Amino acid sequence: MYDIQLKTVSKTYLGTNEPAVKNLSLNVEKGSIITLLGPSGCGKSTTLRLIAGFERAEGGSISLAGKIVSDENTWVPPEKRGVGMVFQDYALFPHLNVFDNIGFGYKEKDRKSRVMEVLELVNLKGFEKRYPYELSGGQQQRVALARALARRPVVVLLDEPFSNLDADLRVTMRVEVKRILKEAGATAIFVSHDQKDALAISDVIAVMKDGVLEQIGTPREIYRYPENKFVASFIGQSNIIKGKISDDGLSVFTNTLGSVSCNHSHCMCAGEEVCISIRPDSIIKDANGHMEGRVKEFTYTGETIDAVITITSAGEEVDLLMHIHPEENIKTGEIIRFKLLPNFVAVVKNE
Amino acid sequence: MGIKNIIQLNNNAKVGERFSPTLLRFFRRKWLHVWKKNPPGTGLLVFGLSIAMIMSIPIVYVVWRSLFAGTNRWLRLLDQRIPELLWNTLSLTAAVTTSTIIIGVSLAWIVIRTDIPGKKIWRWLLAIPLTIPPYVGAVTYIIVFGRSGWARDLWRDTAWLVNVFGDYSINIYSFWGVFFVLTMFTYPYVYLIASASLRKMNRNYEEAAYSQGFSASEVFWKVNLPLMRPAIGAGGILVSLYVLGDFGAIATLRYVTFTAAIYFQRAAFDTASASVLSLVLIFLTIIILWMESKTRKKNKYYQTSNTYREPLTLELGKWKPIVVFYVSLIFFLSVLLPISVLVYWSKIGISMGALDGRFFGFALNSLKASSFAALICMLFAMPIIYLKARYPSIITSFIDKLSYAGYALPGVIVALGFVFIFNNHLPILYGTFYIVALAFVVRFLPQAMQAGEASLSLLSPRIDEAARSLGYPPWKVMLKVILPNMLPGVLSGGALVFVSSIKELPATLMLRPPGFDTLAVRVYFEAAEAVYHLAAPAALLIVIVSILPLQYMLKKY
Repeated sequence: MYDIQLKTVSKTYLGTNEPAVKNLSLNVEKGSIITLLGPSGCGKSTTLRLIAGFERAEGGSISLAGKIVSDENTWVPPEKRGVGMVFQDYALFPHLNVFDNIGFGYKEKDRKSRVMEVLELVNLKGFEKRYPYELSGGQQQRVALARALARRPVVVLLDEPFSNLDADLRVTMRVEVKRILKEAGATAIFVSHDQKDALAISDVIAVMKDGVLEQIGTPREIYRYPENKFVASFIGQSNIIKGKISDDGLSVFTNTLGSVSCNHSHCMCAGEEVCISIRPDSIIKDANGHMEGRVKEFTYTGETIDAVITITSAGEEVDLLMHIHPEENIKTGEIIRFKLLPNFVAVVKNE
Repeated sequence: MGIKNIIQLNNNAKVGERFSPTLLRFFRRKWLHVWKKNPPGTGLLVFGLSIAMIMSIPIVYVVWRSLFAGTNRWLRLLDQRIPELLWNTLSLTAAVTTSTIIIGVSLAWIVIRTDIPGKKIWRWLLAIPLTIPPYVGAVTYIIVFGRSGWARDLWRDTAWLVNVFGDYSINIYSFWGVFFVLTMFTYPYVYLIASASLRKMNRNYEEAAYSQGFSASEVFWKVNLPLMRPAIGAGGILVSLYVLGDFGAIATLRYVTFTAAIYFQRAAFDTASASVLSLVLIFLTIIILWMESKTRKKNKYYQTSNTYREPLTLELGKWKPIVVFYVSLIFFLSVLLPISVLVYWSKIGISMGALDGRFFGFALNSLKASSFAALICMLFAMPIIYLKARYPSIITSFIDKLSYAGYALPGVIVALGFVFIFNNHLPILYGTFYIVALAFVVRFLPQAMQAGEASLSLLSPRIDEAARSLGYPPWKVMLKVILPNMLPGVLSGGALVFVSSIKELPATLMLRPPGFDTLAVRVYFEAAEAVYHLAAPAALLIVIVSILPLQYMLKKY
């Protein structure tokens, strides 16, 4: 049972030729948290606004909890969709206190007890009488979340909810928001351009670019096995190297690194021209390693040393980014031996 | 609201498809395109358009009438009257603008940037002249410098003055009299805008100049003044618009510019000539408004960076006594002297029983017309502000511009338009005080709009969407969310309209029904007949009411 279902949804804004969202299809399971991740202008916010009903799609259909809310013949206005929305700037009503903000959309008889219940959920008991301007950024965010949850919405939509918080608060709020959503049993869609937010909070990540879904999967899948160059370089760092799938279909042959074994080959055929994405995490400095390279440049970041090494083989040169333990002492021009672990090597399409 | 409309339009298209599907679809697409796919509700739009019509019709009517004034009248006026009026009006405008810029900028500089004693109090005191209507100021100066004034008595009793200059030679009823009075009571426009810009000026620019080896005076001329230029321009334009449109001070001092000429032509029932002169004045005003839009564009270049630091305070040193004297002199001439004169004559008036039933009748008339105007303005302002903020399009900006027509143009022109319309088409209302109140609405609606806009601009459109997603249909969102948040701004806007209406003179004079005299009208007539003890209490009351929104105006600049 899917709580949110998008079928070939398209949206073009007036005055632009390129659609903001192109033929997007997406299913979200009940009770799961999904993040739409992508650079600005990739159509992720538009998708959210289409689901909420603030924009109208040109084609395709959107259904919430099994009920169609938008297609060629149906249009359900935002107030009848039963979605809870958390805005980037929280959009708390300035003329209402915390209690009335949270209870704004809740019209059942048990209003008082429901608001208190949600207040407890977001750890804001005792703040009922405060006004939005008397709250810190993190507290405002909790109120916004509580307001969205109070009506027990089918889905909760969160538009870049962490972008107005400073770095420390951001890390705590990620954990906190995830806990609150899970406790409330809500189905949620996040929109974010921050990979760390996405990796930390989601059950599923959908990576978008130019209005198109690039890849969808669990955070682990997305990080370990990116399907294309864009996903590989947008989430984390990656080395992209050209190669050809070997006859057994289990490894990729490259000119510079020789045969590299991969755990995942995304069903590509033997002999096909592909690229491989090698995460810096899978290049391990090892005195007994079977490969070597010359240190071109390096940056000491405290947690690691980000080193770029040049590998020369068969007259071809390639630069690889690797992480070296910060305890080690390396110099530019030094030769380093290393080995490749298959865990973070993925085959990506050669576009 | 918008969505419902789209659905309606869809339905309409289906119904009409039998007749002309392509044409209807074309109009529907165009319509949605104009509104960026988010058209407002029909009711709201019709309301907004009607208000815009009401606001602009009087002026359109004046222009229309002037075109049918006849070639002979045009030629005669162009030949004799207009050159003289042009000279009078333009020379006065230029002189007052120049002197207010000099006084306003120097005062702003002294109060903001130097260590003059009592800085904070001066900031306030020097803005007070804004609350004294120039015609009230004119009356006080007639009392002091007029042909039977105190200054003449003083002159006559001072032997050396008589010996050196002969008989009393100050003529307040002259170009220089009008020039002086208008300067004294309009310089705060420049002063307030210039001090706001000085306060925002980042110290970094000056320090950069000092580090390049500039001296203090070079920094003033080459860094501060250029940075202040847009503010000076904006203040100067406000003053010129004021002088172009002022009727009270000019008529009280028996000078003749376009406004006074229009008023007297109409009083002599030559409305056709009045409309011809109005057209020329509208033309002059539009030129200045055009200049204003230019400076506003320029203003955008001067943005303070986010590393803002407060400007340095300069030490006056040996200049201190001179500077304190200068500032005190301006304060004495523009506030202390006029207020003292009013208080003095009010006391005499009250002891002679000026606060009788007649006086309270005038006050009640003022109150009636002004509060009615304030109420209507609050009612009219809300839909226009809402349209402008939430449904930006060519149509809304057109509505917005039309709403400013009566505010930007002189009051006599608005009043003339009203005379035409109500005389010819709505004689029932002609001769009631509603017509006066309606003229106030046309003149001052933008004041209520600006105040309301300020509070609505703090409300992000996301708030509307939040309320929608919480289950509220558009009309309920407006009632439960927009209105409570806009109300404080609209109320203070209403207060501003009330105060402006109390002060208003030309439209009241031209439109009031027989016997309906307001405080402002009484000040004008009593002063003209030199019955100062009756003029002073009314004038003092007007000044006291006007001081109330001073706090708001200081914040606005």
